[in-house]
Amino acid sequence: MPSLHLEGVSKHFGGLKAVDGITMAVPPGEITGLIGPNGAGKSTVVNLISGVLSLTHGDIRLGGASISTDRADIVARQGVSRTFQNIRLLPEATVLENVMIGFHRREQSGLMANLFGLRAALREQREFRDRAHALLERFGLDEYAEFEAGNLAYGHQRRVEMARAIASEPAIVLLDEPVAGMNDVESDELATIFRELANSGMGLLLIEHNVGFVTRLCKQVYVLDSGRMIAAGDPHEVTRDPKVVAAYIGTSKH
Amino acid sequence: MINLYYAYQPIIDFFLLSVGFGYSQQIALRAGVFSIATAGFAAIGAYAVAILVTKTGFPIVGAVVLGMVIAGGAGLVLSLPLARLRGAFQAIATLAFVQIVISLLLFAEDFTGGALGITGIPRVVNTGVLIFIVAFVMYVMWSIGRTGLGRIFDALRQEESVAASLGVNIGRYHAFAFILSGAIGGLFGGLQSLYVFQIEPHNFGFAFMVNVLTVVILGGRTTLLGPIMGAAIMAILPELARPLAEYRPAVNGVILILVITFLPNGVGDEIVFWFRRRRHAAAAANRVKVKEAKNAVTSS
Repeated sequence: MPSLHLEGVSKHFGGLKAVDGITMAVPPGEITGLIGPNGAGKSTVVNLISGVLSLTHGDIRLGGASISTDRADIVARQGVSRTFQNIRLLPEATVLENVMIGFHRREQSGLMANLFGLRAALREQREFRDRAHALLERFGLDEYAEFEAGNLAYGHQRRVEMARAIASEPAIVLLDEPVAGMNDVESDELATIFRELANSGMGLLLIEHNVGFVTRLCKQVYVLDSGRMIAAGDPHEVTRDPKVVAAYIGTSKH
Repeated sequence: MINLYYAYQPIIDFFLLSVGFGYSQQIALRAGVFSIATAGFAAIGAYAVAILVTKTGFPIVGAVVLGMVIAGGAGLVLSLPLARLRGAFQAIATLAFVQIVISLLLFAEDFTGGALGITGIPRVVNTGVLIFIVAFVMYVMWSIGRTGLGRIFDALRQEESVAASLGVNIGRYHAFAFILSGAIGGLFGGLQSLYVFQIEPHNFGFAFMVNVLTVVILGGRTTLLGPIMGAAIMAILPELARPLAEYRPAVNGVILILVITFLPNGVGDEIVFWFRRRRHAAAAANRVKVKEAKNAVTSS
């Protein structure tokens, strides 16, 4: 599995440096954390990697090949998948259909097979359906398979989105605040799934607000503040770094 | 029974043609493309068939297929400059496309007969042919719905950014939708040509556009039943409301407003959704029952 590298990546919106020359790596088989206070630029980093925004400076490479000028769908087809901070599901589709669209990257059957309902296309759909059910089972959602996704509770919607993101077995998954708004039991369940995914060889980038959650799961943590990387390294050391503490709770004025 | 058929045959044929144009409109809307280009595609198909058959003696079936291919090609060409447009801008650009097609038909008098149109087209299409071809198009639409293509169209309509994040090439699939819309519109345009004996640019003007849109809005944007219900309402209503014949546009308008307000998904889609919800609720209830049974076994 390839790893993801960001080198000197910047994004300027006019005079605002939303992301300012950051360098980081998301290796396969590990969970990497990206933390920082509100407005630090974490989601901008996700949008830059996934091709939603274009970079001002720097380079993003996936297993050696640059993906920094690729369009969002091309980045996705190369095996970089993501979730959205503000959950984005297909609200009219069922939970099952929402996960099934996640298999798009793996679709083999051609246009004609789809138009004329040829057996190959239908067989592929059945296979995706079975795999989607299995994924929903894993995320504890199978009983909601036929529900319209828009009607689900918030925490469930987040999990549907994650199931969809990992459906095509991407090399890298960018999780934008996956446990926001979840209780401890729910986030523990997700932590287990994240570890399993990493053990299977996926590289996970965990964008979080919740420092405790990141410290428990990640080998390497990057800390972003006002677009700059202020610390990187072992999570326990990083969270004791005075600069990080200052960014999170502020410094006292003397 | 036979007499009843003859009395209502023109209405049935009108209904079948409307269903065809309805699918051309529907496939674009389903993919989130606010196209109203179906009138232009229909005009291209109709004129291609009329010119080929009356002026070159082209075999009729070949002319219909060629008309369909030309209209599908027009869909592809139209999709390229429109790739960056969305929503109302798309609608206006496709409206301009229809205007261009009609203007060209009016000006290229040598080929198209200008405002007088083309007459003497052999009348070879009957109810049977229409039923057969509507059934074929329905089969294709049904296939789209149960394979990955329909899901991609639905995704593009509901949340484009999600589709892109999963690797869907938005431009390519919007182009597919335009090509399909063009091919289906051109196919039924050609059939109309071979049904009405005479065509003129005016046939594919504003009234045509409004009719096709109404079929889909009344019927539904996503299900197979949608255009059928929409076209049926459009075909039957004037018959039921004969005493109100003078007020037909007003009656149509009122019904449209009522449907948009109270059945925003369209009559056909609402019916299908109702059955779907029932089926899903039954499946969910069944699952709960199975789970309880399992729990009962393990606990005892």
